[in-house]
Amino acid sequence: MRQIQPLVDTKVLRPAESALALQLVTEMELLRLKAIARLHARGLPPDVGWDDLLQEALTRVLVGSRLQPEGVPTVVFLAGIIRSLRSEHWRRAASRSSQTLRIDQANETAPHEVELRDPAPTPERSLSARQELAEIRKLFALDIVALQIIAGLADDLSPEQIRSAHGISRTDYDSARKRMRRTLLREGLTCERK
Amino acid sequence: MRTKVKTAAPASPEARFMRVLQALEQELLDASDEEIIAAATDLGMNPQMKGSALFAGLKYPARLQLSDFFELGMAARLEAEQTSIVVPDRSTPKLTK
Repeated sequence: MRQIQPLVDTKVLRPAESALALQLVTEMELLRLKAIARLHARGLPPDVGWDDLLQEALTRVLVGSRLQPEGVPTVVFLAGIIRSLRSEHWRRAASRSSQTLRIDQANETAPHEVELRDPAPTPERSLSARQELAEIRKLFALDIVALQIIAGLADDLSPEQIRSAHGISRTDYDSARKRMRRTLLREGLTCERK
Repeated sequence: MRTKVKTAAPASPEARFMRVLQALEQELLDASDEEIIAAATDLGMNPQMKGSALFAGLKYPARLQLSDFFELGMAARLEAEQTSIVVPDRSTPKLTK
């Protein structure tokens, strides 16, 4: 009888480690992506963490299920995947709830009539969006210019429109953006969960 | 005659939130390495340090597990060694009468 030795090395590489080893991203880019993933994990169901979003995005690139278009920087491409994963999570959560409702109704009709549609914002999602936007505002609570910029961004205004609406000089606007980046990075690099 | 001004319907909270998210994402994409190091320093962390907590959730789990404190892998390894897979040796053909 021949014996197969058990696998002693139990270490499994995480997608981020593989991406680093393959030089797909640098450590600095990974930290930038961590901050982006933490930003996008805001308002998601509690079972989905920022690390789930980021590791999943990296996995999709590593296994080739998402192909990076030529000329698009890797970090920008990965940020796009994180954004679409966020939408996917919402779509799945919403279709789960709408599907349950439709199946209940389908008892009287044909079962194939179960409707799967792209969900419109539900009251729950709207409430969550409002709360998350309030949380983001809290990050910049002491910075009036930053708050004006956030309000302008929410209203879909361009930087010029925001500046002229609040009488902000170009220098003040740029300084506020720099302060916002610092705050966002501090928030994004922290070790706290979500 | 007064000109009628068309006012757009107010955007949904979700749309407003998404706009802010995307703009802030762009800010993070534009952040330089120096800005990242400065923010990490504010938090008392050094990206250049081996095993820096900055990489929790990236290179190692964000959530601490029992195995981070106890050598649970050791017990599993010992168990695996005891029950190693046994495969019948097919190199010598079985003689049939």
